[in-house]
Amino acid sequence: MTDSNIEHRTSKMQASGLHKHYRLGGQDLHVLRGVDLHVADREFLAILGRSGSGKSTLLHLLGGLDRPDQGSVAFNGDDVFRYSGGRLDRYRNRHVGFVFQFYHLLPELSALENVLISAMIGTPTLVWPGQKRDLRERATNLLDRMGLKDRLRHKPAKLSGGERQRVAIARALMNEPDVLLADEPTGNLDADTSASIIEVFRQLHAEGQTLVMVTHDQSVADVADRTLTLTRGRLESTSS
Amino acid sequence: MYKLVLISKYLRRKLAPMFAAFAVLLCTMMVIIVISVMGGFLDVLRSSVREITGDVVVDAGSYTGFTRYQELIDAAEALPEVEAATPIIRSYGLINFDGQVMTVAIEGIRPEGLDRVVSYRDSLHWEKQDLLDDFDRRREGKALEDWEVEYRQRLEGMDLEAWGMSLENPYVREAPAGGTPHGGVVIGIEVSPYSMRDTQGRYNIIDAAIGRDVALTVVPVTDRGMVSMSGPQTLQLTVLNEYKSGLYEVDANTVFVPFDLLQQRLEMDAAQKVDDFGEPTGELTPPRATQVIFKAAPGYSADQAALAIDAIVQDLQREYQDMPPWVRVRTWQQRHQQILNAVENEKGLVTFLFAFIGLVAVVFVAVTFWLIVVSKTRDIGVLRAIGASRAGIMGVFLGYGLAIGIVGSLLGLLGAVAIVTNLNPIQEWLYAWFGWRMWNPQTYYFDRIPDTVNPTEVTVIVLCAILASLLGALIPAIRAAWQRPVDALRYE
Repeated sequence: MTDSNIEHRTSKMQASGLHKHYRLGGQDLHVLRGVDLHVADREFLAILGRSGSGKSTLLHLLGGLDRPDQGSVAFNGDDVFRYSGGRLDRYRNRHVGFVFQFYHLLPELSALENVLISAMIGTPTLVWPGQKRDLRERATNLLDRMGLKDRLRHKPAKLSGGERQRVAIARALMNEPDVLLADEPTGNLDADTSASIIEVFRQLHAEGQTLVMVTHDQSVADVADRTLTLTRGRLESTSS
Repeated sequence: MYKLVLISKYLRRKLAPMFAAFAVLLCTMMVIIVISVMGGFLDVLRSSVREITGDVVVDAGSYTGFTRYQELIDAAEALPEVEAATPIIRSYGLINFDGQVMTVAIEGIRPEGLDRVVSYRDSLHWEKQDLLDDFDRRREGKALEDWEVEYRQRLEGMDLEAWGMSLENPYVREAPAGGTPHGGVVIGIEVSPYSMRDTQGRYNIIDAAIGRDVALTVVPVTDRGMVSMSGPQTLQLTVLNEYKSGLYEVDANTVFVPFDLLQQRLEMDAAQKVDDFGEPTGELTPPRATQVIFKAAPGYSADQAALAIDAIVQDLQREYQDMPPWVRVRTWQQRHQQILNAVENEKGLVTFLFAFIGLVAVVFVAVTFWLIVVSKTRDIGVLRAIGASRAGIMGVFLGYGLAIGIVGSLLGLLGAVAIVTNLNPIQEWLYAWFGWRMWNPQTYYFDRIPDTVNPTEVTVIVLCAILASLLGALIPAIRAAWQRPVDALRYE
C-alpha cells in the first residue's frame, strides 16, 4: 500500500503542531517540537524512534491521556483537548483502545474481567444487567480469538507475558475502538511471542482496524502500512 | 458497575482493609461499651432516686417540718394529676446496735401509703422464703429433730414482708423498766454492722439483723426550732426486715419507723399550745410532717403534677397562717439535680474522651487508604486510560471506605452488644479463672454492672463510625481521582 493510497482515505485522526516539554532535573526537555500527523481510516501506522524520543508521549497525546503545550489532536473533526472531562473520558473509552508495553492488567481481576472492565466503565449501572450477557459473550469471543479460551478465569499473575499482552489487546478491542494505540506492544516479550503479537495486529489490520503503534524495533515497524520516525521531536516519513 | 466489582475485589484481596475494618470495629465497640455502661449507670441511678423520692416532693427544708400536710394530701389526691401521696417525717438520730452506735437518717412512714407512691414493698429485702430456704439448705440431707421441726414451723409464721409493711412488732416483749414497749423498724441493709456481702454481692440471711433489738435516740424540735424541754427520746425497736434500694447512700444510712410513733416522740403531733411561760393556751398546735411525696397519675409528668400541687400549697399558705411560707414543691429531678447532673456530665465527658480516641480509627483508615491508593496508582492510571472518570475513581475509593466502615462498625456493634449484655457473666468468669473482679459489688452503689444497650445511642455511634471511615477515605480518594493518568501509568 502506498502513501498516496492512504492519503485518499478518510482521516481518522489528525495531529497538528504538537509541542510538549518536560522539566527534568532542572532542565527543560522539549520532546515534541511541532508534530503533525494524519492517521487514515483502516491504516496501520508505525512510529519508530529511539528510547526517550517522545514516542509514548505522542501516543498519550493522541489517546487523550495527556495534554500538549501547544497544538491539537482532531478526531472526527473535533479537537479532543477541547472536550469536557466527561467527553474526553468517553473518547478514551469508546474511540481509542490502549495496549501498553507492560500490559497494565488489573491484578485482582481475571482475564475475562480485565476485558469486561472497559465495557463496564462505558455502560451505565442500570443498563448493565440488560447487556451483561452480550458483553460477556463478546469478551469471551475476543479471548477465544486471542487463543485464551482456557484462561478466562486466570488472574494476570498466572499468565505468561504473551498471554497478558493478548488479554490487554482483547481489553483494548472490547469497545470496538476507532483507533487502537499500541505502545511498544512487544517491548517486553521474547522474539517468538513478539512475532505472535505482531501477527495479531496484522490480522486486526486485515480486518479493517485502524492501528497506531510506536516501537523502537524496525522489524516490528515493518509490518505497518506506513512508518514515521520521530527524531529530535519531529516526525519524518521513512517508508511506505 | 465497575466500581462495585473493584470494591468487592479489593475487599476480598487485601490485608490492609481488614486492618482498617478492625480499627473501626475496635473503636465502635469501645465507644458503645463505655456509653452503655455509663448510660446504664445513669439510668439505674435515676430510677433508684425516683423510686426513693416519688415524682414530686413537698418539704420545708427544715426538720421542724410543716403543718397542714393532711389537707395537702387530701386536696392533691383529688387532682387528676396526682395518683397518690404520703407524709414522711425525716429526722436524724443515733442507732444503738448491741452497743455499737451510729448516726442514721430516720424516716417515719406509713408503709401502705408509701408503697402507693414508691415501691417500698419491693425494696423490703427479705422474704419468708429466704428464712426457710436458708434453714433447709443448712439441714439438707439430715434428719430433723423435733425441736428443728418446731423451729421450722415458727419460721413459716415469720412473714417478713408483712412485718415490713405493718412496722408493728410481732414479738411479745415486756417493756423495759420505765420504758415503752418495743416498736418495729426496717433498717437499710447496710446499716447493720452484721450485714456482709459475699463476693457475688449477695447478702446472707444468717447475717441479717432481723429480730435484733435496737435503740434509736431522737431529739424533738419544737415548731419554733428549739430543742424540746423533754430532751432526747429513745425508742426501743425490733428489726423486722431490711431495706435495699440499690443506692448505697440510702441503704447504709436510713431506717424506717412508724409515722405516728416518730411523730409522737419528736413531738410533732397535735398538742396543746403553750405560752412563753409554758402554760397551756387552750389551743391545739396542728401536727407536722417534714415531707409529703407524690406519685403523678398515669399520663401526667412530674412537672405537670408539681405545678398542680404548687397551686394547692399556695392556697393552703393563704388559708392557714401556721403553714410556713418556705414550703417548696420540687420534682424528683430538681431534688436530685446535683448527683444526676454530676453523673450525666461524667457520662458526657467520658463519651467525649472515647470519641476522641475514636479519631484513631479515622487516622488509621486514612493512612491505610493512602497506602492502598499509592499501591494502586498504576491501576488508577489504567482505569483512567480505559475511560474511567475522576468521579468514578473517587467513587471506587469512597465506596471502599464506606464498605469498610459498614463492615467494621456492624461487627463492632455485634461485639459490643455481646460484651455489654454479658458483662456480668464475663466478670464472674474472670473472677472464677483469674480471681480478678473489674466491678466489685462490695464497693459500688449497684450489685451488677449496668448491661443495657440504648438503640438510639448505638445507631448514632454506628453512623458516626461509618462517617469516620468515609472521612478517612476522602483525602486518599481525592488524591486518586486527581492523579494525571500519564503520571499514574509511569508510577514505579
